[in-house]
Amino acid sequence: MVTTESDNVIEISNVNLWYGDKQALFDVSMPVRRNRITALIGPSGCGKSTLLRSMNRMNDLVDGCRLEGRMLFGGTDIYSPNTDVNGIRTRIGMIFQKPNPFPMSIRDNVSYGPRIHGVEDREELDEIVERSLVRSALWDEVHDRLDKSALALSGGQQQRLCIARALAVSPQVILMDEPTSALDPMATSKIEDLACELEKDYTVVIVTHNMQQASRISDYTGFMYLGKMAEFGRTEGIFNKPKEELTERYITGRFG
Amino acid sequence: METDSNGLARKGRISGDGIVRYALTAVASVTVLIIFFIFLFIFLNSTEAISSVGLIEFLTGSVWEPLSGSFGAMPVITGTVLVTIGSIAIALPLGLGAAIFISEVAPANARKVLKPLCEVFAGIPSVVYGFFGLVVLLPLLRAVFPEQLLFGSSWLAGSILLGIMALPTIISVSEDALRAVPLSYREASVAMGATRWETTRKVVVPAAISGISAAAILGIGRAIGETMAVMMVSGNAAIFPDPLWDVFSLVRTITATLALEMPEVVVGSVHYSSLFLLALILMVMVFVVNYAARALVRRTRRRFGGEQAVGRFSLPTMRDVLGAQTAARVRSGTALTVLFAASAMAASLFTGPYLTFGSAAAVTVAAVIVGKVARRLSPAIRQKAAHMSLLAVMALVLALLAVIIGDIVIKGLPAISLEFIFGFPRDGGTSGGIYPALVGTLKLVAGTALIALPLGIASGVYLAEYARDTRATRIIGGALDVLNGTPSVVFGLFGLVAVVGMLLSGLTTGYSLLAGCITLAMMVLPVIIRTTEEAVSAVPHDLREASLAMGATKWQTVARVVLPAALGGIMTGTILSLGRAAGETAPIMFTAAVAFQSSIPGSVLSPVMALPYHLYYLSSEVPGSQTMQYGTALVLLMVVLVMFAAASVIRRRSEKGVRW
Repeated sequence: MVTTESDNVIEISNVNLWYGDKQALFDVSMPVRRNRITALIGPSGCGKSTLLRSMNRMNDLVDGCRLEGRMLFGGTDIYSPNTDVNGIRTRIGMIFQKPNPFPMSIRDNVSYGPRIHGVEDREELDEIVERSLVRSALWDEVHDRLDKSALALSGGQQQRLCIARALAVSPQVILMDEPTSALDPMATSKIEDLACELEKDYTVVIVTHNMQQASRISDYTGFMYLGKMAEFGRTEGIFNKPKEELTERYITGRFG
Repeated sequence: METDSNGLARKGRISGDGIVRYALTAVASVTVLIIFFIFLFIFLNSTEAISSVGLIEFLTGSVWEPLSGSFGAMPVITGTVLVTIGSIAIALPLGLGAAIFISEVAPANARKVLKPLCEVFAGIPSVVYGFFGLVVLLPLLRAVFPEQLLFGSSWLAGSILLGIMALPTIISVSEDALRAVPLSYREASVAMGATRWETTRKVVVPAAISGISAAAILGIGRAIGETMAVMMVSGNAAIFPDPLWDVFSLVRTITATLALEMPEVVVGSVHYSSLFLLALILMVMVFVVNYAARALVRRTRRRFGGEQAVGRFSLPTMRDVLGAQTAARVRSGTALTVLFAASAMAASLFTGPYLTFGSAAAVTVAAVIVGKVARRLSPAIRQKAAHMSLLAVMALVLALLAVIIGDIVIKGLPAISLEFIFGFPRDGGTSGGIYPALVGTLKLVAGTALIALPLGIASGVYLAEYARDTRATRIIGGALDVLNGTPSVVFGLFGLVAVVGMLLSGLTTGYSLLAGCITLAMMVLPVIIRTTEEAVSAVPHDLREASLAMGATKWQTVARVVLPAALGGIMTGTILSLGRAAGETAPIMFTAAVAFQSSIPGSVLSPVMALPYHLYYLSSEVPGSQTMQYGTALVLLMVVLVMFAAASVIRRRSEKGVRW
């Protein structure tokens, strides 16, 4: 494991991003602090998901997407042509808005990542599966049916399975793109507890539409508006004493 | 340069992922080259006929006598059009009625049985239909119309048989269109007090009309391209019926002309080239028909996809110009005139002018009375009458299936014995067994799979996962669709000249197993590519993202997530197409199949016997072999239906979403 003195796992500076001719991010800069939860909030279409997806280059999958600026991951330029994109995604995992388990068994879902990275030993895989499922607080519910289809799980369980699957490749950073927007309140609170639990060992960046969620779980918050980083700071500061009037109007629900 | 403290610098210049991409690109390019070669080949070979006969003269000439130098294609084009019109006149009412019954009337559990049953029609090989036509339909028609039909072979027989063959297409496509009409439409209508039948007639069917038209057009496409069945029952005389609506006349279609004349033609002659020109005309006809159907299907999707059709110019309807009441009168007047003309045409084939017009008038008056009476009935009774009629149509369709399958099973079973399966044919085919034909068919299917599967699946994956959506890929897609609809006899033509005559000419001089496999592979390749592409594209995008987000490479994602998820669809399509290949006659009759063999050949360069060709040969050339014919038909039917059943089981299992 690389240990850098810096507290910032990811440094984003002056990033501009275009989808074809349309610019989606304008001169965005922000740090992502190690072992902290950073929330990105803002009205729909403000670019928060775009920013999140650019951190592990998932936007590469979008035709015509182009990025300028600097995005460093522990000293490595994420966007350098010399950078191994699969390696980046191995270290910076992602949880999606809609739970997307593979149509395989629960066990195969979790062991998928380690397998593609070359782990073949059965015992080792079993151990990773158990550890990841325990970590994602799903083990107790599924340990007796690991070989059943993952599609039979409830929505909340599926999302925790997706988190277990992401954990199984031991990422340093976990990006969460509105992970609870498709879930009911009970399942949502489980995922939130889990995110707080993960903070000890991982760095989490979460995009959310839910103000309470951001204030409950995050340490840092970035408020985005029309593709710009309108305000970034400690969560208490943003929510209690925002510097920008725009931020205050948004979090008090006067627009957005 | 960045410091590589994380070990994230790329290792080599070309990754494993890149190698896979190059390999798939190479395979897809080979496939594309093959496809365009087929088009080019058929076109180049037809130029000689265009220059020496002239395209206009060719299309409009009314005498087709190639041996005396007359290349007028009008009689065979007319034959194709007439047989097709007749088959649709039979298939559309039956197919649409059955589709409405399945979708709107039948209870849900009956629907689950009825739809697959109707699909069995599609699994019966063309040559088996032809055989059924010879042994059941022609004697029946002769008995019903003893004065009009000397042999039974006729336009009418061809149309009935093709009509039955077009049924599964029409039923399945229009049923899909009916089911695609949102439930909310039906609820809205029923909530206003309409009966279910009124809802069906005035809301559901009009809403699904594009899809139903597409079903009819696809049925037409199926009928135009059909070879074996129509050749076996329609008499094959290149004449115009006289009068033109004489359904008892002999006719000859383009496909039959190709199948009959190709084996005897001198390579390079005008006759040879004119057959390619006929093939080209056939392909254009099928292309136009299929293109129209696709445009209609797309329109249906747009309508229910919530997208507005933008800027489409629409003509003022009759209703706008004349007002509702006059328009209704004009419509019913037109309908009665058409009915009168049609019944007069039909009656004129049987009697003199007085009775002809008398009976036509009687039919028309009867229709008016029935219409008036029907309007006075209560909605509930009308619904009952309508549903009973639909049930009757459904019963008739199932009865047809039962008769075809039942006849072959009942008369074929006594022929089946160990000697029949494992013996060689004796006494010119009137006794003995079919072992070499059975083995030959299995070899043809295996060889076809060996050639077509790697090329087809790799190309499909390339198109779905790697190719960008450019003009080039769209042209390739279009070419695939054209080949997909191309009649199998055209592939036979191509196989005879390009595969036997050129590709393999250095290795062997005549027909061979290899030539048959290559030809069949060309035929199934577009289907396999398209179904692979569709199955791969149907895998949800978020599964790919989930895999990539864990650092999997593109190829790891494709191989471990996408392909397993698409496997059910790929296998279903593949097995279906191989089942079709097993039952095909036209592509192998000029490339691989011989009538008799006394030993199983060891080389792929030797010709083989095959079940479909054996059945064709026995039933058209060997009188007194009827037991053997029925036995062969039964075995062929079993081989093909088992493959279809396997495909259907796989599809159902993969649809359930259990583990792949």
